[in-house]
Amino acid sequence: MPTDSRRITGPETSQSPHIYQKTNGTEIVLIDENKKRQDGRGLGDIRPMFLRAGIVSQARGSAYMEQNQTKVICAVYGPREIARREEFSWKGQITCEFKFATFSCLHRRQPQQDGEEKDFSVQLLEALEPAVCLHKFPKSQVNVYVTVLQDDGSALAAAITCASVALADAAIEMYDLVTGCSARISGGHILLDPCHTEEYRSEKDNTVNNGSVTLGLMPSLRQVSAVTSKGELEFEHVKKAMDQCLEVCQKLYPVLQQSLIKSVKEKLEMDKLSDCHTT
Amino acid sequence: MAAPSICVPGQRLGRLDDNTTSGNGTYERNGFIYSSLAGYLESKDIDDGKKLVEVRTDTKKNIVPSVDAIVTARITNVTPRFCKCIMLSVGKTPLNEPFRGMLRKEDVRATEKDKVEMYKCFRPGDIIVARVLSLGDAHSYLLSTTENELGVVMAVSEAGATMVPISWCKMKCPKTMSEEPRKVAKVQPQFLQYSGT
Repeated sequence: MPTDSRRITGPETSQSPHIYQKTNGTEIVLIDENKKRQDGRGLGDIRPMFLRAGIVSQARGSAYMEQNQTKVICAVYGPREIARREEFSWKGQITCEFKFATFSCLHRRQPQQDGEEKDFSVQLLEALEPAVCLHKFPKSQVNVYVTVLQDDGSALAAAITCASVALADAAIEMYDLVTGCSARISGGHILLDPCHTEEYRSEKDNTVNNGSVTLGLMPSLRQVSAVTSKGELEFEHVKKAMDQCLEVCQKLYPVLQQSLIKSVKEKLEMDKLSDCHTT
Repeated sequence: MAAPSICVPGQRLGRLDDNTTSGNGTYERNGFIYSSLAGYLESKDIDDGKKLVEVRTDTKKNIVPSVDAIVTARITNVTPRFCKCIMLSVGKTPLNEPFRGMLRKEDVRATEKDKVEMYKCFRPGDIIVARVLSLGDAHSYLLSTTENELGVVMAVSEAGATMVPISWCKMKCPKTMSEEPRKVAKVQPQFLQYSGT
């Protein structure tokens, strides 16, 4: 991948801070003898979640989401005209841009989208598309921009949830919201909502039944809008992980609802205030 | 207004039966009405005893031009065969994002279509009211002004003054008293308050 030559990269000789990292080289123990994970969670416990809609004032709709150290912000623009020359279509279009901020991960990310980010963009698009009433805005386009401010695992799942709330906040007509959840499969164990150290990495966890599953669910319609898995997994494990993810997605739904209700209420209040000023 | 019940996309609003119809911001599925917007619920009685269920968001409407809608547009460039414009609002709702429109020579007026001269009908900068003819090709919407009520509503003369219409095809500059040809809209009195002058 070509790097951006216009940007000043760091000094020529420098030491990576990662060589001083504690976990480097040593085997990470995912589950201790008490069936607890490194951060003290049980296998099926998810991290506490913070979600807020209507964050970015310039955007049509936006949302911010936090799951401990995983922080994701999403902004939605449009429906606007399709700028590029494309085939005429009666359906609207969604574009997704998923980006890790340069400072979001342990290793510095490039300012341009890399392969992983492009991959996530497509997965995010596929998760959102079934939920949006595309026929309501023919010939136009809705742009979704997701930026991961800090990555501590399950970034894609967080992005799916965050983007669907941002779309709803932008008053784009949707059939349902989408909630995302991911699980790490390690041996026979399923760890829900993995954090960064627990996430599956193909370069080191290459034994059988090591992998991860990410799932997007439309909770009210009870339809799965996207599912992806990584690693070499037996079907039994994938199925079990999916079932657990489904359960979590359903549990998260009220959080999404509450955040949207709050933002709608705020907007109604604002309307009242501006009405008072004009009349 | 009493505390409005707020709903989010995918929320079930009620059963769909003979007495209820689903309005804007909702959709029907498996005999139920669901919300498709994050907004507040409004149900009102319409004629023949039916109840209309709607979800509304007052703050921002996501509107895109649709066929047969009346749009207000600003002319950006004029060529002998067509002129291009930027749509500013659909009906009374201002658009958040500009949409491009195209008005072809044959869609300017209903009669004597072959004698239309574009330069005598529109000039860049004119504000026109037009009807959306079709969604057009990939780039722009097709507009039409083939009605008496459609055409130029506001135009600035060469001297820089806002002109006044004197006939369906002429406008006069109040400063220099010169006349300029335009395809003038017969503005309906009930809409005059929106003209802004």
